[in-house]
Amino acid sequence: MAEPYIRTVDLCRYYDRGHHVVKALDHVSITVDRGQFLGIVGSSGSGKTTLLNLLAGLDTPTSGMVDLNGTPLSKMSRRQLSAYRAQKVGMIFQSFNLISHYTALQNVETALYFSTRTPAERRRLAAAALEQLGLADRITHRPADLSGGEQQRVAVARAVVKNPEILYADEPTGNLDFENSAQIATLLTELNKGGLTIVMVTHNLEMAQQEAHRTIRMQYGHVVEGTPSTVVGEKRP
Amino acid sequence: MTMRDLIVISTGNLVRMKLRTFLTTAGILIAIAAFVAMLSFGAGNQEYIEREFNNLGLFSTMQVYPKYNPNREPAPDTSNAPELDRSALERIAAIPGVNLVYPFDAFNVTVRIGDSTFSSKAQALPSAAVKTKLFSRMVAGTAFDSNSSRQAMVTEDILKRVGISSPDSIIGLKLTLSARVSTVDSGVARIVGDGPGMLMRRARGLRMDSLGNTDYLNKVLRVEASEAFKRFLDGYMSNQREITDTLIICGVREGARGFRIRGEQIIVPMTTASRFTQGGPTGNPMEIFGALRSGTLFSQSGGADSKTFPQVTIDFDPKVFYKSIRDSVEAMGFRTFSFAAEFEQIQKMFVYFDMALGVVGLIALITASLGIVNTMVMSITERRKEIGVLKSLGADEIDIRWLFLVESGVIGAIGTVGGIFFGWVITRIVSAVAQAYMRSEGIPEMDLFSLPPWLILMSLGVGIGVSLIAGYYPAARAARVDPVEALRNE
Repeated sequence: MAEPYIRTVDLCRYYDRGHHVVKALDHVSITVDRGQFLGIVGSSGSGKTTLLNLLAGLDTPTSGMVDLNGTPLSKMSRRQLSAYRAQKVGMIFQSFNLISHYTALQNVETALYFSTRTPAERRRLAAAALEQLGLADRITHRPADLSGGEQQRVAVARAVVKNPEILYADEPTGNLDFENSAQIATLLTELNKGGLTIVMVTHNLEMAQQEAHRTIRMQYGHVVEGTPSTVVGEKRP
Repeated sequence: MTMRDLIVISTGNLVRMKLRTFLTTAGILIAIAAFVAMLSFGAGNQEYIEREFNNLGLFSTMQVYPKYNPNREPAPDTSNAPELDRSALERIAAIPGVNLVYPFDAFNVTVRIGDSTFSSKAQALPSAAVKTKLFSRMVAGTAFDSNSSRQAMVTEDILKRVGISSPDSIIGLKLTLSARVSTVDSGVARIVGDGPGMLMRRARGLRMDSLGNTDYLNKVLRVEASEAFKRFLDGYMSNQREITDTLIICGVREGARGFRIRGEQIIVPMTTASRFTQGGPTGNPMEIFGALRSGTLFSQSGGADSKTFPQVTIDFDPKVFYKSIRDSVEAMGFRTFSFAAEFEQIQKMFVYFDMALGVVGLIALITASLGIVNTMVMSITERRKEIGVLKSLGADEIDIRWLFLVESGVIGAIGTVGGIFFGWVITRIVSAVAQAYMRSEGIPEMDLFSLPPWLILMSLGVGIGVSLIAGYYPAARAARVDPVEALRNE
């Protein structure tokens, strides 16, 4: 049996609110294999985004661990975690999180600032990524001049331009209409077929079941379905 | 992130916030302009003094005095103090690095130029001395060319006394110097009187049988000594002879400069002046008193070799450090005064002066830097999401800190460069106005301000440095922004 690419063991994230403790994530253990598309569904406040932030190393668990290909994130220094996000991780968000005063090209190029690439190389790669996503004629546009679907495609381009090993998608279609949601879902599937490991958080169970190899459901900080051997819904062929 | 990336991103952000950037930069610009203008004032004055010292050759000039300072009370024991005489001058001249040694040898004269007659002081100088910077700043004509030349130099002050406005007009005019001088001979002659006859008359007045009594003898000696001194002074002052010499005015020097640079209104070649300088003191009681005090009253008749001087000037090689000359001269038992040493004190004073001005400028700069703190803190508040996104993309805290530090630095650099230029413009305007005023008042023009390279570099360092310090707190705050919180806000 292959060693999982990402593994969490009894992962907890509690927030101390003085008079009470909020257990955003409580003893979550999941695995993600290399090249797998994992869907995480659940209602608001179920801990999906918290889990994603911990997997990306943006947040620190209260207890438990995140293991990346045999290396616990907790053993990494702050700089190593930054390098992990810079080199191996791509992230997309529900609200796109594009920098409003940058053009589409600059937004995508920003993801390459933390590499050793030259400015010319960065611009070439960013332009190529946008062109690949059908945004060649939008590279000089600022986010305010783009539709929601286009903005999310720019965000996807920014996430994949550095050729990451894993993509964390937090409600990528949450702010999109049906047509654009379908486009993004198809795009993610294509990227996964290209070998990119994807962990996608979504409210949309149907989309998760359709696109992901495996879907887990979370509730009140726990994984309530789909761990580790059972799945929610049919597995994508 | 490379420094180039940081500068490009920072500049882009600053350009985006034009008004805020302009106002913050303007604060730094004005503060730096004030800083530059104030220190430029100190530097300008320091440069002016240094230039004047150089032009007068003061850095390579030293004054030497006898050990005993008559103005100092109580007077020290001077029994073993050497005299500042010709032999001392020769010993000083032998010190390595000394180019020229000449005494301050002045005398009172009655001067006649054309129809004007007035009392003045003249000074004897060797021809080599009038070629030194100290005496060679001529307004018209030239210096005399030999020690026995029949020429004299005057200062601009003489022009006013004879009612001549153009310095060139006095060149070639006759200058008649005359002085009445006393001799020891005439004083002694009055003591002796008519010789043995007078001595016999004095002797007859004594009680010969009481001369064995000590008290009586002491009384007699006191009375006789007092009587003899009175007769000496009477003869010394009343039997004066007149010395007169007529010379041609060859040059007009700039006016007198101050008490340490003793230069009289008339300068006569040393050999030509010897009739006056070695003729004995004039009838001026103060001069006689001075000669008595310095012990030169009776040495006048001893010739040039035995004459002592109140002050001697050394002109030395500018490449030689003044302290080595000073130490050698003081080791001979003399006091010295050096403008180079004085300038060191002046420089120290200017350091304090510059520091005081700098502190005022710095206060203005620190006040302006609070604008940077405010701008950057506002910028961080507005850009929390951007910071979160950058962190999610792999930016480290150090990258974020540098991003905001560079923004502060860019504001500081633009403000500082602009401030240096603006400060320079202010100093030029003030200087032009001041010079116009000096012209109108007939005051010699001087540039009140100077912007030396060290001041430019210091202003750049201070301006950018203070801006970076001001940016450090906001930058550290930006670096600590929690990406989860920043992204959640959206």
